[in-house]
This record gives sequence, C-alpha cells and structure tokens, in this order.
Amino acid sequence: MTLLVNGTKLAAAGTILDTLLAAGIDLPHLCKDDNLAAIGACRTCLVEADGRIVAACATPAANVKIVETESARARKLRAGVLQLTLAMQTDATPTTSGGPLAGSLAETAARAGVGDTPFEQVSGQAEDASNPFFSFHEAACILCGRCVAACQSLQHISAIGLAGRGSRTVVTPGAGDSFRGSVCTSCGSCVAACPTTALRPKSGGAA
Amino acid sequence: MPAPAFPPRFHLLTRLHETHGREGYLSREAVAEIARALQIPLAEAWEAATSYPMFRFEPGPAEALCGGLSCALNGAAPSREPSAGCRFRCFDAPVEGHELPFPEERICLAGPLLAGDITDWKGLVTAQRQGPDAALDLIEEAGLRGRGGAYFPVATKWRGAIAQRRPIALVVNAEEGEPGVFKDRALLQRRPRRFIEGLAIAAAVLRPAVIVVFVNGEAAPMREALTAALRASRSLLPVEPLVVPGGGGYVLGEETTLLNALEGRKPAPRLRPPFPVESGLFGMPTVVNNVETIAQLSVVFRGGADSFRSLGTEEAAGTKLFSVSGRVKQPGLYEMPLGTPLRELVGHAGGAIEGEVFAVLAGGPSGGFLPEAEMDRPLLPGLMHPSGAVAGSGGMVVLDSSSDPRAAVLAMAAFNADESCGKCTPCREGLPRLLSALQGSKLGIGTGDLLDVVGLASLCGLGQMAPGPMRSALHFWPELFR
Repeated sequence: MTLLVNGTKLAAAGTILDTLLAAGIDLPHLCKDDNLAAIGACRTCLVEADGRIVAACATPAANVKIVETESARARKLRAGVLQLTLAMQTDATPTTSGGPLAGSLAETAARAGVGDTPFEQVSGQAEDASNPFFSFHEAACILCGRCVAACQSLQHISAIGLAGRGSRTVVTPGAGDSFRGSVCTSCGSCVAACPTTALRPKSGGAA
Repeated sequence: MPAPAFPPRFHLLTRLHETHGREGYLSREAVAEIARALQIPLAEAWEAATSYPMFRFEPGPAEALCGGLSCALNGAAPSREPSAGCRFRCFDAPVEGHELPFPEERICLAGPLLAGDITDWKGLVTAQRQGPDAALDLIEEAGLRGRGGAYFPVATKWRGAIAQRRPIALVVNAEEGEPGVFKDRALLQRRPRRFIEGLAIAAAVLRPAVIVVFVNGEAAPMREALTAALRASRSLLPVEPLVVPGGGGYVLGEETTLLNALEGRKPAPRLRPPFPVESGLFGMPTVVNNVETIAQLSVVFRGGADSFRSLGTEEAAGTKLFSVSGRVKQPGLYEMPLGTPLRELVGHAGGAIEGEVFAVLAGGPSGGFLPEAEMDRPLLPGLMHPSGAVAGSGGMVVLDSSSDPRAAVLAMAAFNADESCGKCTPCREGLPRLLSALQGSKLGIGTGDLLDVVGLASLCGLGQMAPGPMRSALHFWPELFR
C-alpha cells in the first residue's frame, strides 16, 4: 500500500500521520501521544488529502490516495490554528521549567513559521500547587487533552478530567477538588505528556 | 427478549437527570455518590456532568427565560442572553417558563406525515410481510434521507450497520436542541403512532439487539408523550426501548457526541473512523436516526416508494417538516415537499408581521441568512447559498422590517460560541473571538480568514457549520459590521 505524499510515493501504514513521521516528514501534532489513540483536539496536523482538509492523526492512510502537507490552504489553516493556540497562553514561564515535552508548542510554532499570535491573549488563571511534586497553571494550558488521556487511558487512574464546556473548559481533578484531594497518585504521567508548562515539576527541569 | 446489559455507566445521565430534577441542582457529593454507585471514576463523571448546560451545581432559582432568536425578534427583553436556552415554543414568542405541550393548532400545513395520526399498523404489516431485505430495498427505492439535517440516505446507513454482522443498536435522537425547531416535539406529542409505526418498521428491518431513545431533558411534555406511546405499543417492538433523558446542548445533534453521552462520557465528538455504523454505542454497530426520519418510514411503507417519490425532487424525495417562527403572521409547523422554494413556505406562514419580509435565517445556528431577494431558492439538502443557508433540520426564522439584522447575527454568533463543546481549538477559541470582532473588537486577522479556520479546521460538523450565520451576514450586509 502506498501513499503519494507531496509527489513522492511512500509506504503507507496506520494513519496519515504515522506514514509521514515514519518517512521523516515534519508535521505538527500537539495532542497526539505516541502511546495513545488519537484525540483529534488540537487540529495542528491538518493536511490536504484527496482535496479535503483532514486531521492526519485521525485519518487512516488506507482511506486516501494523495496527501499534500504543504498546500497553501493546509499551511494557512495550520498557522491559523497555531495562532489561536498561542493566544490561549498568558503565562510566559520558560519551557525549561516544564516537563520533558514542555517546549513542544513553542518549537512547533517556530517550525511552522508562526511567531507572535495576532490575537489578544486570553486565559483562565486557575492554579493548583497542592501536589508535592508538580503544579498546574491554567494560564499555560492549551486544552489539548493529553494529560487527561494519560491519566484516564494510560494509567487508568482518572484523577483528572476536562470539566466544563466551551471556553470555560478546564483540567480538573475529581469533582473540582485539588490534585492533593483527588485520587492522583503523583505518577507524573500528566506532566510527562504536557506540551506546555501548564503541568510543571516543582523541582524544575525534567520530570 | 431482554435488552443486553450495558456497562453501569450507561445509567450516568439518567441518574444525574433524576437527582437534578429532585434536588434542583447537582452537588459534588451527589455526583460523587452516583459515580461510586456506577463505578465511574469521579473525574469522568464530573467532566460529563459539567458539560450539560441544563445542569446547575449550586442551589437557586432556575433560569426560565427563553434566549432564542424568535423571542429576541419578538420583543424579549434585551437582557436575555442566548445562554438562557430555548423553550421551543418559538411560535408563541416571546415566551418564558417551562415547556408546554405542543398545540394541535400550530400544525399549520399537513402533508402525508402530519395528516392526522394513524389508527392501524398497515405500514408495519407491509414491512413484516416483505421481510428485511425487500423492506430495505423499498427504503432505498423511496430515496428516504435523514431528516435531522444531514440528509444521509437511510438505506445506505442501515446497510452499513447490517454489513457488520453483529448485534445492532438503534438509537433515536429526540434531543431537538436547536432554537427555532419544534418538529420532533410536535410529532411525538401530536402524531405518536406515526413515530411508533416507523420505529417498529426500523426494528423489523434492522432487528436491533437494543433500542435507545435519547430525549431532550427539559422537554417534559415530549418525554411523557414518548413514554406513553412506547408503553401502549410494547408488543410491536422486539425489545423494550430504553428512554434516556439528556441534559441539553446543541452539540448533542452530532451523533458521536450523542453516543458519548449515552456511554456516560463527556459529550464531545468522537473521531471518525470508526463510523457509528461500524462501532458506535459501546462498540456495537449503531444506527442513529432522527425522530422525523423514523416517522417518515411509516409514510414510505403505507404509500409505497412511488407515492413517496411523487413529492419532493429526484434527489430529495418526500416531505419535510419546517418549523417557521420569528416575524411571521402564522408561525408554526409546515409540512412541505423538499425542493419547495423558501418564498412559498414563508408565504404560507402569512408573510411579515410589520412591513415586508427582510430575510430568513435558514437552518438556525448551523445555517445562514438569506435576504428576501434570495427566497426563490429551493429547500434542499446541501447549501442553499454558498454563504451558509441550509434547509437543515427545517428551522426557519423570519426577520421583517421591524427586525434588527445585526442583533440577529450577534445572537447566532453568541449562541454558537456558547454551545461549543470545547474539545477542539478552532471552534472553542475561534467562535468567541469572532463574536467579539462582530461587536467591534480588533480581531488581529481578517474575519474571513478566521471564519475559514473555524469552518475547515474544526473537528465536527457543528463547528464546521458554525460560521454560516456570520459568513452569510457579512456577504449580504457588509455595511452592518463596518
């Protein structure tokens, strides 16, 4: 099975994103965790597939024939989504104080040629430092859902969820409890999965 | 035959709804107790519960004002926010209080579907005599498409589920959460036997292992009518349908969101594939159909394919229920053949209350505005105009000379921003910014560019269609937003 990507035939397997990454083609994918099913929330991996805009993480390679990752439309849409994502952050903590993936958003934006966001930056300000090993900062959260997927689907602890809806959605332990008051076991999977500094180790440096 | 035993979390929404009804709100302790009883992690129960606009989490008086567009056009206080929700009596706008039974006199124009309720089960007998294969062929010949707004061919969807060769779940969507639409409420309350016959036909063809009817949590009259109708016709169905009350939310019109809600998960869209017909409710091949689609099966089997096709167009056969409200003399429910020009529908509704008809919002928050000069366009599946107008689920809100189109556009932009489930970035972050831009704030990029991002990059159909009202208004009335 082959997929024609940007004019080159590639051996296709899994999703479009799997195929691209295996061939060393760079494409943003902020909410896709290597170990977990696609979430499809961040919309940063949009490509043009057989003329339609699709999320590469959620589209089986077998379902399409021709993929253009660098069409003007795909590039413009990815840039627009990244600008909206950057506008969710009002926290300027250096990514070196975050977990191992904390630089993902900044690096992704830089590689896509997206500098400052043109949008006004707005965010919630919830903070939770109740856990002895890490803290949560809503002002840096982009609601990608990776921490929740890691907690619910990887660790099967389900200490946190995405409570509320729309722009009022917030990563929430238990029924609006603190991390310390929840069933969190301090395993650190959420910190390890976070692509920003929203979940950061208390000691600083890698979790 | 007993229904299969679903995992305990299937009961989450029902239990939340019961407790909310009894206590008037959901305390953290109450949610924790339900989560414990159903063996659902608390954070998962909490993220689900807090995603329904109907549920409140503090004691206090319930909001009973309607924030729908028809109410706003008919003089509701400007302080009413779209977030106040809709009471779905748009034909009586402005309204407040709880939902009331749908009045027979608001069935303004009846066709084959609404012409009196049926008194026998001739359509079902026909389907049973034909057997599932021939009955499915008949549905295909009739060209029946879904009436929830997407107009997907019914036979194609059903064949997709049957092809899985596993026990099927049949899910009926009676959420009807779009302001300005009241057809399913009318059908279930005024023509319940039509719906029951259609459901029995669907069951005879699909032979589902389970039937679930998801019904709007605030629509007490509809839920009571549905429950009574199901009780009276239990012998017609192979399994006893499970009725699940919702907690509101426009996004429940998206079928994978509905399935998550039924599974006791946060009501947000799933990724496709897998499609529900492949893997839907708890992994079963699942057919999700709208109430009106199910009821139309009764018309198909009683009259036959040719009779059904005699109304409508080649591509879109049969009649459709249109909920007409806003600034028209005779608001109510109109059954018209698909393909009818919008002008004819508005004419039946008596035209403008004051002066002239100015425009119609066709398809509600997922549709678009059409000025009077564009009303010769036919009501058909797909876009009625490239800027956004659709026949959709049949909600048509009329603006007249007294209406403020700018306020109407802002009301739709606010509704869509408010109803975003929050899962994907373009819809969650883009829609509030578009609303602010319409209100005069600096956006940072071109409005058209952000409309494109929301329309093309969003995860589900509702996010993808949310730009319609704004895009159409900017197309037809750019001067309103300078």
